[in-house]
Amino acid sequence: MDAELFTWHTQSDTLHDLQEGLSLAQNSGAKSLLVLTCKQNNYPEEVLNSLLSACPLKLFGGIYPMLTLQETLIKQGALIIGFKEDFDVTLFSQLNHVTNEACLEKLITSTLEKKDNFSGQDNFLMFYDALIPNIEGFVDCLFECLDHGINIAGGGAGNSDLIQRPCIFTNQGIHSNTVLLVTLPRKLNTSVAHGWRIFQGPFLASEVQGQTVQSLNYRPAYEIYCQAIESATEHKFNNTEFFDIAKNFPLGIEDINNNLIVRHPILEKNNTLQCFGNIPINSMVYLLEGDTETLIDATALAAITAFSELSQTTIPTTMIFDCISRVLFMKDEFEKELNAIATHCPSPALFGVISLGEIANSQSGAIRLLNKSIVISSW
Amino acid sequence: MNKALFIISLQHELAMAIGNKLDLRAMLKVFLKVCFNRLDLTSAHIHVYCDQSGIPCKLRLLESTSFQHFLSIPKSKRGQPWAQNTHLNNFVEQLNNSQSNSSFQCENGQYLFGFIIPNHGLLTFETHYILGDEVQKALQPVLQKLASSCYTSLVHDSLVKEVHSRQLIEEKVAFQAQHDGLTGLFNRQHINHLLANAIEEAHLNKKIGSVLFIDLNRFKPINDSMGHAVGDKILLTLSNRLHSLSSEHIDIGRFGGDEFIILLKNLKIDYQETVNQLIEQINQLLAIPFVIDANSYKLTCSIGYAFFPLQSSTVNNLIKFSDIAMYEAKRAKSQSGKKYQAAMSEKIKRRLDYVDDMKQGLEQDDFKLYYQAQYNHYGDIIGAEALLRWQHPIHGMESPAVYIPIAEESELILAIGQWVLEQACRDIKKLEQLKLPESFDKISINISAKQLIQPDFQEKILHAIEQNDIPAKRLGLELTENLLVENIEDSIKLIASLKEKSIDCAIDDFGTGYSSLTYLKRIPASVLKIDRSFVANIAQSSESAAIASMIISLGKTLKMNVLAEGVETIEEFNCLKDLGCYHYQGFYFSTPLPFDEFIRLLS
Repeated sequence: MDAELFTWHTQSDTLHDLQEGLSLAQNSGAKSLLVLTCKQNNYPEEVLNSLLSACPLKLFGGIYPMLTLQETLIKQGALIIGFKEDFDVTLFSQLNHVTNEACLEKLITSTLEKKDNFSGQDNFLMFYDALIPNIEGFVDCLFECLDHGINIAGGGAGNSDLIQRPCIFTNQGIHSNTVLLVTLPRKLNTSVAHGWRIFQGPFLASEVQGQTVQSLNYRPAYEIYCQAIESATEHKFNNTEFFDIAKNFPLGIEDINNNLIVRHPILEKNNTLQCFGNIPINSMVYLLEGDTETLIDATALAAITAFSELSQTTIPTTMIFDCISRVLFMKDEFEKELNAIATHCPSPALFGVISLGEIANSQSGAIRLLNKSIVISSW
Repeated sequence: MNKALFIISLQHELAMAIGNKLDLRAMLKVFLKVCFNRLDLTSAHIHVYCDQSGIPCKLRLLESTSFQHFLSIPKSKRGQPWAQNTHLNNFVEQLNNSQSNSSFQCENGQYLFGFIIPNHGLLTFETHYILGDEVQKALQPVLQKLASSCYTSLVHDSLVKEVHSRQLIEEKVAFQAQHDGLTGLFNRQHINHLLANAIEEAHLNKKIGSVLFIDLNRFKPINDSMGHAVGDKILLTLSNRLHSLSSEHIDIGRFGGDEFIILLKNLKIDYQETVNQLIEQINQLLAIPFVIDANSYKLTCSIGYAFFPLQSSTVNNLIKFSDIAMYEAKRAKSQSGKKYQAAMSEKIKRRLDYVDDMKQGLEQDDFKLYYQAQYNHYGDIIGAEALLRWQHPIHGMESPAVYIPIAEESELILAIGQWVLEQACRDIKKLEQLKLPESFDKISINISAKQLIQPDFQEKILHAIEQNDIPAKRLGLELTENLLVENIEDSIKLIASLKEKSIDCAIDDFGTGYSSLTYLKRIPASVLKIDRSFVANIAQSSESAAIASMIISLGKTLKMNVLAEGVETIEEFNCLKDLGCYHYQGFYFSTPLPFDEFIRLLS
């Protein structure tokens, strides 16, 4: 049985085409619409706002750096998926105003209290503004309040220039500083992969302030990072852009079961490393390395795992959340990653987003913010 | 090698996560979160030892402590709080009993690992894998550090609580300094303070203010008869009602007892009208019955008021003036309140001067006892009533109808009553030394309400008798019917006790007040005195004759002698005699006479 009813996409960047797609979707008999658009479209914000507000069907989604449909990477255009069910949508907004853990807990609790249909075993897709301050604090708190037993997959919306703009879609329009939880009508299966392996380390994260690593082994973090890479490779930081080298050597935090949580150092500032996600203070971190082959192998393995767990009686809908850094790292070979998934995917309903940070459950059940990873989710 | 490094780093990371916050819950939450993330846990829980009040405490031998669920990540499982999770509760119970680290494999393939936080609580991890022995061992020093940090937090918490309770006490003391303990309204001191400020503001802003003095009418009998608990409830109810009038410009206070003060500020040119309206509102609030313990009470009040700065600009004067005006309102039985007038103070001053005159008169022997003889129907003198007379040095002979009520308002009536008692006893002593007619029985004196409620009243009577060495039977006491009924139980006891000592009592002015046959039957008095109002023109008034006849029959039934007062004519005498009354007092027989003349009358 098909879970989704309607799939439409365009590679055109005009709002007129999106409007046309929305009209078709509204006449398709669908009750809920997932609307995803590429950042490159540069739709006029006000017109887009009124277009979304005018949609009579339940609507959710966002603006992502790129989209995927089966084996195709869509750099410009839009994608609309229509679902038969009326999906429940929960919005957490103005998160930039929530300054401490107590306020965050209060906001999440009060929002969840209004959703008395949550059972503690729900399945969610999470669309969020990637540039919300302390998104990791939010997911930690969400997990604490939601219960374990929930399944979740998601990805950060916005643009890779890291300038915050409204990027989350609801029937009320387009939002920034917002998290959108979409409750799925069926069990969500997720599989996660990154393909990065230990290159050097461990190093003690001796001074950390959230996402900023100030020192490793009690020495300036940037200095240690450069030395470790320069001593073992031909890369030289004095004649290359930091990001061009750093995209090849992320940091990894090893957990007790030898799983690596990847953290992407996106820039260097005053001898510190700024990552896209928190590094726990006093934790042991490694320098990681990888190549296209290891990354794609990991993805293929994740796809096999994900699809083998699915029920044979339903035709699943599969959505992937793939990190922008993987596109930048693999360049022209990126579509091989999409191929690897499509090869194992049992249904043609395969689409996704290229995201700024990914969300998935860890093996233990907790919600984790990931970097440089791919989340394959099916329901 | 890397495993060892990992464990060292884990130990370091967990240890460094301890003690970053002072509050116990916040401190443990930071630690638990790091455990949760670094050990890849499914859930993590802390139970702490608590005292009998459920407050976290350090475990001590021989003291009653129990552990309670304190913190979990996540907060619930499948929508159910962890505190109600049977699997977890059973595991923690066993962990506590064994007081050593333990583990358990659940049916769903998950594992529970339990650790002791020395003397403070229990730490439980739920995992999807087996937590290695080396990791469990590495946790031991971390748990020791956690225990020390728990203790620091507990000490800190108790200090925070102490500071908080000190703050509460300080606030309470500050509140008590300004508010009345029973009603919560402002107290006298604070009202004085507010009034002082209001006077200053009125001067500055060229505005008018007013002080209203409210006193409940006949509240004391309710308090006396129903008890202070009922009285207090009435005052509290009234206070709540009055409080509804308070606003930015109206302050309400309790001055004491059943007296209240309302302070009105910022009045405009129509100030008199505003006060009139407020008085009407107060009366309306009082018109609602006070229902206390299923009984309903109706109350009224008397209100006096004064304006500032028009009538005075000092706190004491304004309170005094409104109080004086309140007394005028009470005297006039006015419901609409009285505004203070200077003449009221003059009147008060005159009364105070008059009281001073009385005091002086008492000291200078200006008071005399006159005796009005009492007769039987044969014309024999059977006794006399001692009547007080005051020869004022300026005004001449003063009427008792004027000075007795004034003396009764002050404490002076007690001194006067005592003088009457002692003088009467001295006179009886003199009579005893004469040859008295056989029919002569006793001298009676009148007793006032204030005398009767003195705890040593009986003692004083007996002392006067003893001091003058006279037979007790020669002294009689006359108590009005109203006086007896106000305090019936105590009166019955007192009269019975006096009767045992041969001192008889008469019920004076009978028929004029509230009577109850039930009470009358129980009062062991010897004489009923028919009030003069029923005697006057009894021969012509069938109504008076009927009442007198009824009193006479009552006296016979209760075995009391009946004496008619104010007999002025032969017709009245004959009529009374015909009705069966054989004892008399009045001008027909004799006017009140100075003692010497009375002696002559006797002889």
